[in-house]
Amino acid sequence: MKINGVEIEDSFAEAFPMKATRLVITAMTHKWAYRAANSLTGFASSVIGCGCEAAIETEIDLHHTPDGRPGISVLIFAMSTKALADQVLKRVGQSVMTTATAACYSGLHTEDRIPLGKSLRFFGDGYQISKLIGGIRYWRIPVMHGEFMCEESTGVTKAVGGGNFLVYAKSTRHGLAACEKALKAMKKVAGAVAPFPGGIVGSGSKVGSKYKFLTASTNHLYCPTLRARLPDTALPPEVGSVLEIVIDGLDEAAVREAMRVGILATCAFGPKRGIYRIGAGNYGGKLGPYHFHLRKIVK
Amino acid sequence: MKPMTLTLKGHQAQRVDVAPLTPDLLQGKSRSEIARIPLHAGNRNIPTGDLFAIDGADTSDLHLRGDCRTLNNIGAGMGGGSITVHGSAGHRLGAAMRGGQVSVHGDAGDWVGTGMHGGRIEIRGHAGNWVGAGFPGDTYGMNGGTILISGSAGERIGDRMRRGSIIIKGDTGAYCGTRMLAGTILVLGTTGEFAGLGMKRGTLILGRRPKQIVATFNASGTLKMQFLRILFRQWMRTYPNLTELRKRGPLCEYFSGDLTTGGKGELMILRNAYL
Repeated sequence: MKINGVEIEDSFAEAFPMKATRLVITAMTHKWAYRAANSLTGFASSVIGCGCEAAIETEIDLHHTPDGRPGISVLIFAMSTKALADQVLKRVGQSVMTTATAACYSGLHTEDRIPLGKSLRFFGDGYQISKLIGGIRYWRIPVMHGEFMCEESTGVTKAVGGGNFLVYAKSTRHGLAACEKALKAMKKVAGAVAPFPGGIVGSGSKVGSKYKFLTASTNHLYCPTLRARLPDTALPPEVGSVLEIVIDGLDEAAVREAMRVGILATCAFGPKRGIYRIGAGNYGGKLGPYHFHLRKIVK
Repeated sequence: MKPMTLTLKGHQAQRVDVAPLTPDLLQGKSRSEIARIPLHAGNRNIPTGDLFAIDGADTSDLHLRGDCRTLNNIGAGMGGGSITVHGSAGHRLGAAMRGGQVSVHGDAGDWVGTGMHGGRIEIRGHAGNWVGAGFPGDTYGMNGGTILISGSAGERIGDRMRRGSIIIKGDTGAYCGTRMLAGTILVLGTTGEFAGLGMKRGTLILGRRPKQIVATFNASGTLKMQFLRILFRQWMRTYPNLTELRKRGPLCEYFSGDLTTGGKGELMILRNAYL
């Protein structure tokens, strides 16, 4: 199967269940909301080493935030509710509460909740005040810039992590141009994010390693510098670089839709602009129950 | 189904306790059964049917018509549904109510929402003293819900209130928010003397600077209180006619007090429009 001359491999992306929450961060301006959100989602590319995966989902205008100020929504994913609660507490406490003028609210209204202000309030050292407004409890924590406003808790939902596709390109420059376009298109899909830096993985991994202490190591079959040494290399001769876009979503549909628009935007570049093939990372169906078959997705 | 309307047959000189006439208590009852419900008036019991002409069948939407100023405990203890008073209401309107809505198209007497736990009370006219305050013998006043008074209210508003909100678009008398334990009071008009006296916690928001701030309140300066944005937006969603709030907050003069009782209460005097 080809789209605009780009080969779509008969393969599938293998994803796994995660737990997720959405936070809405507001501040005096979008600039400061971004600073808080960027800090919160920093070092959150992979659960393997970061404890969670997180990324900015979208900008929210001041008419649609709880306090009428400019906002940013972020999605945070972890392998369990407990791990998610731990990461949310640390990241909101260290990244949002410390950002001047920032406030933090729940962006997910589910029954399953994890603490937000409920735990952070203790920073107020007894001077914190709670207000029940419209059935939602907010905590007002006195801080040096005024008050840090924080909702009592945030909703948790079952989510899907690890949706992905691989972009086989002539060079990294060609691959990045196509991937950036794909990510721009994927931004419009609500409930899905690409948590790696810039949304792109430059060093995709495989499960396991020759070293017993490592759970993941370089995906050697896709490394262009190893092509000559590996008889079973996955790279055709014309491919000089492979980039991966990993997608986490609040549900299967969000991941599928993000993959679809991302793949189509990538294929729009075609072989003439250095994009040859689209593949996907999987582990033979052993890693996770969600299988996103590339050809079915783009059909 | 047509809403149930109870129309007073004539002027009732003596006060009558109409607490049994709430949507919850009337649910499933026929008009003839409702007509037999006894209502206390002094040491007498008067059948509802002797006082009111009863019309309609939907007991979840009750309407009271006539001169209801002598009817006490309208909506007292109710947990759901709605009561609309087309005129003025007596004392203890919505006392100890747990849910639902009570609307009064006129004035209301004293002790509006005393012991209230939830629900909404909306008064288009004025209210008497002790709105949301603790009734004699009670440890504290209202414990949840929202009271909106479009006119003015009397003295001792929110005395010993513990939770919930009282919004007064007009003025209040003296001792507004005294001995508050928590909760929120907003007065857009003027307040009398000793606002917030003895308050332990809670928030007293004033639209106008009182002539005197209680001596045991300390100023923290002019501050932007971000939570006012959320609070005012929520109130405007609940009460679309509360348009005055569009132009108020979050900038305010901020005072802490009453320092004689811990100083955890807050008194805010709203500054110019900012939202």
